[in-house]
Amino acid sequence: MAFLNTSEAAANGRLLRLVILPVGFALATIALWQILCQALHIPPVLLPPPSDVWTVLRGNYAILFDETLPTLNESIASFIVASVLGVGLAIALTFSAWVREALYPNIIMFQLIPKIALAPLFIVWLGVGETTSIVVAVFIAFFPIVVSSVTGLVSAKPEVLRLCQSLTASEWQAFRMVRFPYAVPYIFAGMKVGVTMAMIGVVVGEFITAQHGLGYIIMFAAGASETATVLAAIVLLCVIGLGLYGIVGLAEWLALRSYGGAMPISGVI
Amino acid sequence: MSVGIPAAAASRGVPAIGSSLRRARPVALPIATAAATLLLWQFTAVRLQISAVILPAPVEIAHELWRALPVLISQAGPTALDTLLAFAVAAILGVGLAVIITYSPLLRDTLYPNLVFFQLVPKVALAPLFVIWLGFGSTSRVAFAAFISFFPVVIAAAVGFARTDPAALQLCRSLTASEWRCFMLVRFPFALPAIFSGFKVAMTMAVVGVIIGEFISSQAGLGHYILNAGSRLNTADVFAALGVLCALGVGLYGAVALAELCIRRVYGRH
Amino acid sequence: MSIAKVRPCLEASGVRKVYGAGTAAAVEAVSTVSFTVPHGQFVAILGPSGCGKSTLLMMVGGLETVSSGSIIVNGEAMTGPRTSIGIMFQDPTLLPWKSALDNVLFPVRVLKRSMDDYRQTAYGLLQQVGLDGFEHKRPHELSGGMRQRVAICRTLVYDPEVLLMDEPFSALDAISRDEMNELLLDLWQQFTKTALFVTHSIREAVLLADRVLVMTKRPATIVEDLAIPFARPRSIALGENRKFNEICRHLRERIEAGHDRPQALRRGTAIRRREPAT
Repeated sequence: MAFLNTSEAAANGRLLRLVILPVGFALATIALWQILCQALHIPPVLLPPPSDVWTVLRGNYAILFDETLPTLNESIASFIVASVLGVGLAIALTFSAWVREALYPNIIMFQLIPKIALAPLFIVWLGVGETTSIVVAVFIAFFPIVVSSVTGLVSAKPEVLRLCQSLTASEWQAFRMVRFPYAVPYIFAGMKVGVTMAMIGVVVGEFITAQHGLGYIIMFAAGASETATVLAAIVLLCVIGLGLYGIVGLAEWLALRSYGGAMPISGVI
Repeated sequence: MSVGIPAAAASRGVPAIGSSLRRARPVALPIATAAATLLLWQFTAVRLQISAVILPAPVEIAHELWRALPVLISQAGPTALDTLLAFAVAAILGVGLAVIITYSPLLRDTLYPNLVFFQLVPKVALAPLFVIWLGFGSTSRVAFAAFISFFPVVIAAAVGFARTDPAALQLCRSLTASEWRCFMLVRFPFALPAIFSGFKVAMTMAVVGVIIGEFISSQAGLGHYILNAGSRLNTADVFAALGVLCALGVGLYGAVALAELCIRRVYGRH
Repeated sequence: MSIAKVRPCLEASGVRKVYGAGTAAAVEAVSTVSFTVPHGQFVAILGPSGCGKSTLLMMVGGLETVSSGSIIVNGEAMTGPRTSIGIMFQDPTLLPWKSALDNVLFPVRVLKRSMDDYRQTAYGLLQQVGLDGFEHKRPHELSGGMRQRVAICRTLVYDPEVLLMDEPFSALDAISRDEMNELLLDLWQQFTKTALFVTHSIREAVLLADRVLVMTKRPATIVEDLAIPFARPRSIALGENRKFNEICRHLRERIEAGHDRPQALRRGTAIRRREPAT
C-alpha cells in the first residue's frame, strides 16, 4: 500500500477519498450482486445472493462458531510455532557462516517446491487429526519466515558492524544491539506472509482430512450443494485471516517504533 | 612481522583455504549437505529397519520412481498444462490490470486497496467454490490457480510501473513522445524486474493452486496421484510423485527465471 | 620541545599491506610507510582516492592486519581495536531507531559503563556542536551535517586518547563541510588529542592539521611530510591567507607529480590551460 502514499494524501485532504472509493466499490459490488441474483433469477446453488449468506450466518451462528474455533486455534498455534522455529533457525544461521552456507541454499530450494503437496505425506505419518493440520501449516509457514529473517539479520551494513568492532564490542553485543534490531522489519514482513501461509495450511489440511473446522464445513456444504453455507464459511475465514494479519501488523507497528529502520532501509545507513 | 587480529564480526568462523576451493564453496557446500542428508536417511532407514510405510529408504524411492516413471510423467502432463494455462491467464490479466491502474488514478484508488485486501485473505478457501461453479474438470482448477496467481502479478506490476524514475519519464515527455511511447520505452523496461518477481511468485502459486484443485476435485494429475498413494499408504509412491512434482515446480520456476535473463539481455540490468 | 625522551604516541615502521598475498591477484594497498606522531599532534593524511590512506588508517586503528612492519600506539603494538582509540567514518552510521542522545551514548552501552556517568557529558557535547534541543530527534529527522555532528559526539563521549577520522566530511555539501571544519577547529582547542585525519581535500588538510603527510598510489607510500606553520586558534578565514594558498599549490603539485594523468592533458591542449611550471 506504500505507493499510495497515505501521508501525502492526508496532507492533501485526499485521505477520505482513499477510504471511501475502495470501500464504496466493495459495497457497490455486493449491492450489484444482490440485484443481479434477484433480477436474473440465478439459481442459489450457483450463486446465492448476499441475503442468503447473511441468513445462514445468523441462523447457524452456534454451529459455525463451533467450527471456527478449531481453525482459529490451529492457525494461531501453527503460526507461533513456525515463528519461533523460523526466527530461531535464522538466528542460529547468523552465527555460523559454514552452517549458513550449507543450509540456506537448501532452504531457498524448498521455497520453490509446492510444499502443500506434502500434506498427504504428513497424513500418512501423523494420521488424520488436528496435529497433522498444525504440522502442515507450520511446515508451510516456516520457510518464508526463515528466509525473511535471515535476509534481515545479514542486512546490517558492514559500516555499522565495523563501528561495533572499533568499540571492541563482542559478537553477542553486536548481535543484540545492532544486527537484531536491524532485522526486525524483515522478521515482521516474513511473519505477515507466514500467518497467511499458516491459515492456508490449516484450511487445506481440513479440506483433505475433513474432520472439523471451517475447511471441513466448506467441503461438506459444497458436496451438499449448500452454496450459501460455503460462502458463509468463506466469509468467516476471511474475517479470521484479516484479523490475524491485523494483529501481526499491529505488533509490527509497535515494534517499529523502537526498532529497525525502514524497509528497504532508506534511513541513515 | 605480521600482526594477527581476531576475525571481523561480519564474516565469522571462515578459515582460509585455497582460493578456487573457496569460490566453489557456496555451491559445493549445500549440495554436499543435501547429499549427506540423503546418505544419513538411507543408512538410518536400513539400519533401524524403519517400516517402508513410515519412511522408505531413498534407494527404494528411486526404485519406485523408475518403475512408475511412465505413469508419473503421464500424470505430470495435465498438472503442467493446467499450471501453464493458469499462469498465462494470470500474467496477461495481471499486467493488463496493472497498466490500467497506473494510468487511471480513480481506478487505482478504488481497486488497489481491494486487491491488497484479497491478497491477505486465505483465497484457498474459495477452491471448492470454483468446483461448484465450473465443475470437476480442468477448467475449475485452471480458474482457481489463475485466481490465486493473479494478485501477486497485479500488485508487483503496479508497484513496478509506479516506481519508474520520474526523471526518465520527464525526459521522455520533454522529447514530445506520446504516452504510449513513454510507456513502452521507459515505464515498462523499468518495471521488468518487479514484474518478473511477481511472475516468479505467480508461477509458484499457480502450481499450488492446481495441486489444491486436484486434491479436492480431480481424477488425474500429480496432486490426485499423491493423495491416492497416500490413502493407500504407499509412501514410496508418494515420495516418488513428490519428486516428480518438485522437478516440475523447479522447472517451471526456472523457465520464468530463464525468460527473465533473456529479457534482461535485451533491456539491460538495473 | 620537551627535553625528556617521551615516547611518541604513534610509531609506524615499515608498514605494508598486501591483499591476496601469494596469489596471482595480489594487490599492494600500502607500501612501506613509516612515520611517528607525537602526543597532541593533528596529522592529515592527504592523497587521491585509492592510494591506500583509508587502509593505513584502519591498520592504525586495529581493524586491519598489517602484512609486514609494525604499528605501536602508546607503547603497545596494535593487535586489535582499543577503547583508547576512537574512529570516525565517512558514514555517520547512526542507529535509526535511537535518538541522537542514545546514539551518542552507544559506546557507553557497548563498553558496559554507567550511563548516568556519561549522560551529562553527552548533553554537553551535543550542546557544543550546536545540537541543543535535538537530543531526542531520530536520525531521519536530522540533516547529513547534523548526523556527522552526532557522530563526532559519539566518538568523543568516551574520551579516547587518539582520534582517527576517515574522510568524515567528504559526503557533505561544500557549505556543511566548511561548518564542520570550523567546528572541528573549535573542538580541537578544547580537547588536546592525537589525531589522524584522512582526506582528499588539500584545503581541508592544510586548514585543520599541524602536519600533512602526502600519500600517492603506485607505490602507495608517503611522498612528503610537511609541517603547517599556522598558529592556533585558526579560523576558516585562513583560507584566504596567501601563504595558505602557496602551501596548497605546493601540495597540489606534489600530488599531481605522482598521479596518473591522461597524456593529452599534459601536453597543454586547447581544452585546459595550466600555469607554466616554475
